[in-house]
Amino acid sequence: MLKYVLKRVGQTILTAFLAVATVFVLLRMAPGDPAANYAPPNPSSEQLEAIRQQFGLDQPVPVQFWTFLQHLFQGDVGTSFFFKRPALDVVLERLPYTITLAVAAIIVTSAVAIPLGVWMARRSNTAPELGANIGTIAGQSMPDFWIGFVLLILFAVNLHWFAPSGFDSAASIILPTVTIAILQIALISRLVRREMVVNLASPYLTVARSRGVSERALTWRYAFSNAALPVVTALGTRFAAMLNGVVIVEVVFNWPGVGELVVNALKQRDFPLIQATVLVTVLLALVVQLIVDLLYPLMDPRVRLGEASS
Amino acid sequence: MTTSTNLPGHPQVPNLAEVPGSILGRESAVTKVLLRRSAAARRARYSTIKIWVGAICAGVVVIPVVLAGVLPLPDPIVGALSESSLPPFSAGHLLGTDPNGRDLLSRILHGGQTSLVIGFLAIFVSGLFGIVAGAAAGYFGGWVDTIISRLLEAQMALPLLLMLLLVVALFGPSIPVITLVIAFAQWPEPARITRALVLVEREKPYVAAARVLGLPKFSILSRHVVPNILQQVLVVVLLLLAQAVLLESALSFLGAGVQRPYPTWGGIISDGRELFVTGKPWLVTVPGLAIALLVVGVNLVGDGLRDRVRRAKGDQT
Repeated sequence: MLKYVLKRVGQTILTAFLAVATVFVLLRMAPGDPAANYAPPNPSSEQLEAIRQQFGLDQPVPVQFWTFLQHLFQGDVGTSFFFKRPALDVVLERLPYTITLAVAAIIVTSAVAIPLGVWMARRSNTAPELGANIGTIAGQSMPDFWIGFVLLILFAVNLHWFAPSGFDSAASIILPTVTIAILQIALISRLVRREMVVNLASPYLTVARSRGVSERALTWRYAFSNAALPVVTALGTRFAAMLNGVVIVEVVFNWPGVGELVVNALKQRDFPLIQATVLVTVLLALVVQLIVDLLYPLMDPRVRLGEASS
Repeated sequence: MTTSTNLPGHPQVPNLAEVPGSILGRESAVTKVLLRRSAAARRARYSTIKIWVGAICAGVVVIPVVLAGVLPLPDPIVGALSESSLPPFSAGHLLGTDPNGRDLLSRILHGGQTSLVIGFLAIFVSGLFGIVAGAAAGYFGGWVDTIISRLLEAQMALPLLLMLLLVVALFGPSIPVITLVIAFAQWPEPARITRALVLVEREKPYVAAARVLGLPKFSILSRHVVPNILQQVLVVVLLLLAQAVLLESALSFLGAGVQRPYPTWGGIISDGRELFVTGKPWLVTVPGLAIALLVVGVNLVGDGLRDRVRRAKGDQT
């Protein structure tokens, strides 16, 4: 068990390092001089050179990377070009907003998708199920930024129920959450349905039914507890992916999370801020994934992590 | 799947129920109505409904997009400022115009051409690469499998959208770059499916027979194994077309699409985003409907086909 955890932690660190290194190199290859964004208007070449020196961009890329690594081991991720503050602090300020949004979205998704998927599995091959099935396909077919805009047009512009963008009150979270949840509900409910159909048709269920177990208990205690494992895994993966930035939804709603932060940082060529965001979000997503994997044996006694890894 | 006792094309077969003295000389308890209501028949019927509804949804978008060059449409790039911001159903502009006086219908149809070209090219590249990589990983195993599986895992951990934005910024937002970027995002799916199917297929007797007959490994894979799984993989690749169109519009929306003034679906919506607040919502809602209709259509056709392929293969769900 301990060996497994250590191995996974090692993999996590390696993956995060790989992601940051890739982004680091790509950023320095991309056209566009960051110094030009932070110089006074019509800068002289001396001024530009001074800014490049200040940011450390005058060094060759391998030297820059080595310096970055040295600072990283001392816990220093770099100073944001734009905010002139430690990039890590900027990211950590924005992170709670993204986590709040991701948690809200995953709660709404689970609350709707699981009953919906179970219902679809029990009503398999009936006309209402066909309707729900087509509905879930429609749900995963709409561009998320477009759903966001349509919700804004309906509820913010025409009905004035919500402020059009940003984060001013607790109610601001509703529209972005709904926007994310529509796609996730469509995906997760189809997974729940698929898993439940397999379990509802399996022999152990027929045996239980012949012993007179009620349909409700058959559905939830028998079939669902077996279908739950892949569903929880999928929810965990989805949640981890959301921490990596619900970029588009945050941009649509001006939500002050890390996704919006990183898109702006990209526009401003704020290298340290982009690197810090990638580092933090990738690490966080990997940690969530690790926790889900470690929860496996608690949910399913058939899984023994130590044996699986050796 | 015929429910009739008189098989079509075999009229000479006597109906046993009518033969006097036959042990079958009574009505079968399985009536035609029951057969038609059976789960299998329903599933077949529903998959047909899905395919037809999907084909109509996709056709409504694809056919006008393909014909955009032939249809009598105003120029999508140069508009008349005297006709700016007309609402839908104005004279000469079925879907209205944007603040630059450009016809929205014309922009959507011409933008759709870009989206569809990118989408088809992207699934061609990702499908080809995914099938080759997945088949090699599944059939040869060993270090080939290790490398490809690790690549697939590594890609899952990367912040994909950010990487795609960076690469487009790096190489410029041209059609080949956007196509390759989308193909890169998509190759894991066909690869994973192909690998899983090949793993099952290579244990079947016909593969052993081909090996005994002395066929080289590569020929067994390309001439026997892959053709047997191709149908199932191609359905997945078709479903990727829907994802490709969505991803392309998302990239355009974030400014990493084909550049202005050339219209793209995501770009048109992105241009309209500041305008719907001032009472011009059609500039956002209508182009999104085009994307949604096309993607729903492709997804429905793919889903219906997947139900059929699975049934043909004889396994459940």
